[in-house]
Amino acid sequence: MSRKKSKSVAATLTTATCALLGTTSTTPVNAQEEDEWELDTALLYYNEDGNRVQDISFKMLANRNFIDDRVLSLSLGVDSLTGATPIGAIPFAGPQTFTSPSGNQVRTAPPGEIPLDPSFLDTRVALTANWQQPLGRLSSFNAGLSASSEYDYLHLGANFKLSRDFNKRNTTVSLGLAFAADELDPVGGAPTPLTPMLDVDDLSNRMGNQNKDVMDVVLGVSQIINQNLIMQFNYSFSSSDGYLNDPYKIVSLVDPVTGDPVPRIPTPGVDGPSHEYRFESRPGERTKHSLFGQAKYYMNGKVLDASYRYMTDDWDIDSHTVDVRFRWPIGDRSYLEPHFRYYTQTHANFYRTSLDSSLPLPPHASADYRLGEFDAITLGLKYGWKTESGNEWSARLEAYSADGSVPANLLIGSNQGGLEMYPDLDAIIAQFSYSFGW
Amino acid sequence: MTRPGRSTEIRKKNGHFEARFVAMGSPCEVLLESDSESNAAAVAGSVSTEAWRIEDKFSRYLPDNIVHRINNSGGAPVEVDDETANLIDFAATLYEMSDGRFDITSGVLREAWNFDGSDNVPADSEVDRILERVGWSKVKWNRPELILTAGMQIDLGGIAKEYAVDKAASEAAAETDDACLVNFGGDLVATKAPTRSKGWQVGIDALDQAQGLPQKLIRLQNGGLATSGDARRFLLKDGIRYSHILDPTTGWPVRNAPRSITVAADTCTQAGMLATLAMLEGQGAETFLADQDCKYWCYR
Repeated sequence: MSRKKSKSVAATLTTATCALLGTTSTTPVNAQEEDEWELDTALLYYNEDGNRVQDISFKMLANRNFIDDRVLSLSLGVDSLTGATPIGAIPFAGPQTFTSPSGNQVRTAPPGEIPLDPSFLDTRVALTANWQQPLGRLSSFNAGLSASSEYDYLHLGANFKLSRDFNKRNTTVSLGLAFAADELDPVGGAPTPLTPMLDVDDLSNRMGNQNKDVMDVVLGVSQIINQNLIMQFNYSFSSSDGYLNDPYKIVSLVDPVTGDPVPRIPTPGVDGPSHEYRFESRPGERTKHSLFGQAKYYMNGKVLDASYRYMTDDWDIDSHTVDVRFRWPIGDRSYLEPHFRYYTQTHANFYRTSLDSSLPLPPHASADYRLGEFDAITLGLKYGWKTESGNEWSARLEAYSADGSVPANLLIGSNQGGLEMYPDLDAIIAQFSYSFGW
Repeated sequence: MTRPGRSTEIRKKNGHFEARFVAMGSPCEVLLESDSESNAAAVAGSVSTEAWRIEDKFSRYLPDNIVHRINNSGGAPVEVDDETANLIDFAATLYEMSDGRFDITSGVLREAWNFDGSDNVPADSEVDRILERVGWSKVKWNRPELILTAGMQIDLGGIAKEYAVDKAASEAAAETDDACLVNFGGDLVATKAPTRSKGWQVGIDALDQAQGLPQKLIRLQNGGLATSGDARRFLLKDGIRYSHILDPTTGWPVRNAPRSITVAADTCTQAGMLATLAMLEGQGAETFLADQDCKYWCYR
């Protein structure tokens, strides 16, 4: 049949079929091909100002769709971290010398700067596998395993989730459980908490491998309010126990009058720390509770996604996170998505920027800036576009800025007030993603 | 009248009911998203009743129906009922649309062609002899009266299954508001999307059945899906593969026809006819389908 004629076939056929079936109109067909494999890949670059941490990571998520709505998800992540990170010691007008984590050499921090450990270099590989399937008409079940490995850390985890629809499927309730058994094998061995940083080659206060167990429970409710609005509420409980220290973090011992680090003389003929430092000590347990609420509002292709999280734990850290994204379509195939996030937290009850050498040591102390009081703002913009075949590209650029403060009652002596005690952090994040199926 | 082997099995599977029966030589199934077994039984009952009614009425293998009367009329006029007339009108439209390549009188060509995977290709003379008894243009159709030349036959098998799926699905929709999928041997209709997922998952069979897995998964929310082509029905001689799609204008298999074409359309009938018409285009199947602005999956 001629090309011209063939074009009119569908219309003629529709009329003839309506006459045959005795119908006047039909609902248009809605059928989509489902890719057997759906792949999401992302390349991420993260860079902290001041030659601190730099991370280049690659992530890949593969979903394999099976009949009866069963899905196998596999993911792989590779991170390559380099750079330096604050070790917890306070800055000082003179140079400070530290024994490296391996215990076999010393490093000197320049005067007036927050001391960093420059030996931070790591490659992390993470794998997850997840199986999801319906259980009857209203429920679904999800189970997965995870493992990640870096040179001083091994994580093994398992997770389960059950969800059930109610209320004509407008409400979904889910219960998730996750367990992790982690093993730390720090360079040179995990230091005994609160013991001094020792001279080179003295590993007498180092312990062997350490373990940490984490259990998480998440109870979630998602509710379709109307055609445009979906809300989600989660309560999560997390309990960790075991070795919760960062084995590379220390706290300066300071003079009660000046607030300067207490000098120390290494054993003659041996290199060692120039001042008194204690390895940090965190409690062996931590319990967190968090509440999360999210609203997604759809309006003519635009999507507003706003969420808030409150977290509180028995280390007395309380945090609030507000996250807002707005997806703005440009034409049929692309969109712009600005992102704003605000985060604020109080400090842990054992957070100390330094320890008074005239007083007995407290049972727990850490100068880790991540346990301090700080606010952080993230501003970002994402641009995504879909190819004709339905594959999606996106590019994201974000700036992160964390600004911390040390409460006056944690400052000791006369000299600390004039120093920058908290290592503020500015970082940029760039990400390219590509999603495709076949 | 109940014919042997006419029973329906119902069982619960993955949260929906599944009813199975055999009609028109094909395994048939009805999937119903429902909590009620009695509802499922009622829907399955009306679907299978409709399927068997259409089979009884239009099968060319049965000795007591309208098709049999027409095919054995010996050139005498036969007056047909409305439903039969509607099907014949539809067939006449398709004949015209396809320049004579969709022809319900072409069934007699099977006397020469038996697609059993062998090299049994008939002689030209044999085909030409049979072609004298083929051609809708030789039929006098003046609704409701049909006059078929003696020796000619009609076969509504190329339309009846898809027609039955659409009719049975509308019976199901009249019976229940629950989402229902009616599938007669791979030609199917979804009345609406199941609430528990994005759509009914339908697999297009792999051409190589040994692979076991469907070649493509399709999410059907509503509408029809039909497949033309059968990887196992062909002849092979001197390195040429003869598909079982016969072109009644030549009496020979369509050259370069795809092995299988699946089309999605508003109704199963439209989907099935588009797939068949595309098959008849042979090499031009994809071009034809692209012109129809429909979703299709074509395998060669």
